Amino acid sequence: MNKIHLITVFIFSLSFTLNADILIKNGNIYSGDSAPFIGDIYIKDGKIHSIGSLNIKASKEIDAQGKIVTPGFIAPMTLIGIVEINSLDVTRDDESDYLNMGFSIFRAYNPNSTLIPWNRANGITSAISIPQQTSMPLAGMGSYFILDGNMNISGSKDMMMLGRIGASSGSRSEDLDLLENLISLGKLAKNRPYEKVIESPIAVFFELLIQDIEALDKVANEGLPLVIKTNRASDIKHLIDIKNKYKLNMILAGVEDAPIVIDELAASEIPVIINPMDNIPDSFDELSSSLELSAILSNAGITVLFDTSRSHNYHLIRQGAGNAVAYGMDYLDAIAGLSANVANVFDLKDRGSITKGYYADIAIWESDPLEPASIPSYVFINGIESDLTTRSSRLKDRYIKKLDKK
Amino acid sequence: MRYRNFIFTFALSFSFITIGAPFDSTYAPQNSPIIFLKNANIYDGEGNELLGYDLLVKNGQIQAIGKNLLLNETGKVLSYDLTNQWVTPGIIDIHSHMGVYSAPGVKTSSDGNESTSPVTADVWAEHSVWTQDPQFSLALQGGVTTFHVLPGSANLIGGRGTTFKNIQSNTIQGMKFPKAPHSLKMACGENPKRVYGSRKRAPSTRMGNAAGYRKAWIDAAEYRDELNSYVSKSASAKEIVNPPTRDLEMDTLAGVLNGEILVHNHCYRAEEMVVMIDIANEFGYKITAFHHAVEAYKIADLLADNNICGALWADWWGFKHEAYDMVQENIAIVDQARGGKGCAIVHSDDAIGIQHLNQEAAKALAAGNRAGFDISKARAMKWITLNPAQAAGIEDVTGSLVKGKDADIVIWNMDPFSVYAKAQKVFIDGNLMFDRDNLLTKPVSDFDLGIIQPNLSRTE
Repeated sequence: MNKIHLITVFIFSLSFTLNADILIKNGNIYSGDSAPFIGDIYIKDGKIHSIGSLNIKASKEIDAQGKIVTPGFIAPMTLIGIVEINSLDVTRDDESDYLNMGFSIFRAYNPNSTLIPWNRANGITSAISIPQQTSMPLAGMGSYFILDGNMNISGSKDMMMLGRIGASSGSRSEDLDLLENLISLGKLAKNRPYEKVIESPIAVFFELLIQDIEALDKVANEGLPLVIKTNRASDIKHLIDIKNKYKLNMILAGVEDAPIVIDELAASEIPVIINPMDNIPDSFDELSSSLELSAILSNAGITVLFDTSRSHNYHLIRQGAGNAVAYGMDYLDAIAGLSANVANVFDLKDRGSITKGYYADIAIWESDPLEPASIPSYVFINGIESDLTTRSSRLKDRYIKKLDKK
Repeated sequence: MRYRNFIFTFALSFSFITIGAPFDSTYAPQNSPIIFLKNANIYDGEGNELLGYDLLVKNGQIQAIGKNLLLNETGKVLSYDLTNQWVTPGIIDIHSHMGVYSAPGVKTSSDGNESTSPVTADVWAEHSVWTQDPQFSLALQGGVTTFHVLPGSANLIGGRGTTFKNIQSNTIQGMKFPKAPHSLKMACGENPKRVYGSRKRAPSTRMGNAAGYRKAWIDAAEYRDELNSYVSKSASAKEIVNPPTRDLEMDTLAGVLNGEILVHNHCYRAEEMVVMIDIANEFGYKITAFHHAVEAYKIADLLADNNICGALWADWWGFKHEAYDMVQENIAIVDQARGGKGCAIVHSDDAIGIQHLNQEAAKALAAGNRAGFDISKARAMKWITLNPAQAAGIEDVTGSLVKGKDADIVIWNMDPFSVYAKAQKVFIDGNLMFDRDNLLTKPVSDFDLGIIQPNLSRTE
């Protein structure tokens, strides 16, 4: 795999008050990247200070009573903070009017979106929000957000680029050519003034701007993660070739036909983002879609992350992971797919795992987190206990009072 | 016996035009073996949890259910020891677009919305059904034995919906649930006003929606009255008067006014649902179920009082403005209204969701009990079995495991309220339609034949 060296701006809003230290006792700890063990977690200054059988006094102690403790889960493909209501354009900020690859959704992020408390209360503590797909094989850039709802936004700006190859009104052959040409343009941009690069015929033809060239430069030369949505086996194969040819930090999303090219995909070491519940042959690109996809990929040694087809409920990646386990995926691989794998694939520093020195993004679950009926009893972000109230819970409280309960 | 009345009155009202109903079901179950399910844990769909019970199926029907049943049958008996496994009625989805929005979802298969006029009561969803939709088999593998296919929600009145057994057939009639009544799809809110408003025609507002329904019902009442007046005439009088000109749209709407066709109304917002109840009262028809009804919890008592089911998702929200006020307790609140007199249904409206209705019910149940209700799993099982059967007008023949009903049965490898549970065996009318232990039983559509090793798991 390419070594990842992100030049993206890390904005650590250290505004979280470094108040209470917290001791979580008797957790059944699924760290995200190791086998489970019963233990304690001591949280201090927003970070995981120590893990094990601890004899520490803390200002707040929580007895987890053997319940499952996981890292806060990370959703890798969302619209959290940038779309409030899908059918209402005026609440959508995921589309650019004039940029292409250089389109950044970062400043559209609304820390007061109702999607943030909702997903957080369901165990998602951070997420990557992405722009809308365009007709180009490469669209804009996604950003990573810590879902603390803080007005001082923390996360990582423009830390991935999104693309797609597959069925369209044009030809995928031309799309693959265009993808290569754009990557080549990015290669060309290395150590050249972007003002010169935008004069090249392809940049002129597609009316690319400085921001687009800058983004291509990062993908082509600096290992910016490039997530390509694709499904058909032949497309996957071509994309593997392109990844190798240009030494890209490529991640494939969808990949419903992947079992047909499983050996090539495994050899490429490309991680994948899949919706484990989508076994519908929705298009002619995904005719071998199946519920066994997660198990097939993960058993071949491929790193698997999860996506869901439902808007707003990005926490349903847990339900997807549960179904993946039901159809043969290893449980620990599924937990990793919700946490450590996302952090590793996108180089999210010090998150995604219950590891000493990492940020204390932690959930304590009422029962198995892969059961969609289960919710967290506690959620911590940067070591601070989250309020699990949501707009939905307020609506529920208002109306349920009027009913006679048994 | 609603569906039998339906056939009777239907034949009566239209006998002057046609004998019997066109497009009738031709499905006839094959001779099924005697099946003996031993030591099973059963959610019977009537609200009971029966641990370690036996169940006997004969002639495609449930013959007996009890502890330590004695098997006095001679001849071939398929016997299964189901210790630690679970048995439920076949799962029923009251809101599906399988067959009318088939996979692959390409424009040539987009047959669910006749969005060319806000009132298209003349169209029947069944006439759009593609029998080779690969989604049917996937739903079967999720335990779905019966599903109700509706037209989409682009129109105020979208047309007739039809109930199907999840049977492989190359005719629509061969899949239709015998004697099940039709439904009428109506839709409130954003969809119709968006579709037609964007074309600068009515309706473009919610008030335009309301006017549109009422105009249609005024016409329907007039047609019904003309028809009744003609039918009540003596034979000699009929010879000198022409019957009213037959009108497909009015046939359907009059069928609703006569109580033969069940109204399934897509409606999200509380106040709109109450407007729809008033319109139903104004014209003397009944609403069987509100579909999607994200705000049903705000008027749950009113729904219970009016005997209207809520066909709901466990947690979908936010994709439209009218779906913004989601609470995960919606299903439980509708169920528990007026001391448990409510009728809650978990529906899918989705080819993925239909395969996991047990998981959706599990989410809704957990949310409800967390909020302070005390709802049993056995009762929650009704949300995906007996209650949708009732809303489809077929509760006398399916939807629960009681003597004399169709043997539509699912065997689960574990408690179906878990994400890890899988439908292990699925029976329809006592015939084994899917057996996870023998993937050769998996129905393979004509379309699927193009796919690698279609008889096995697609990718093995």
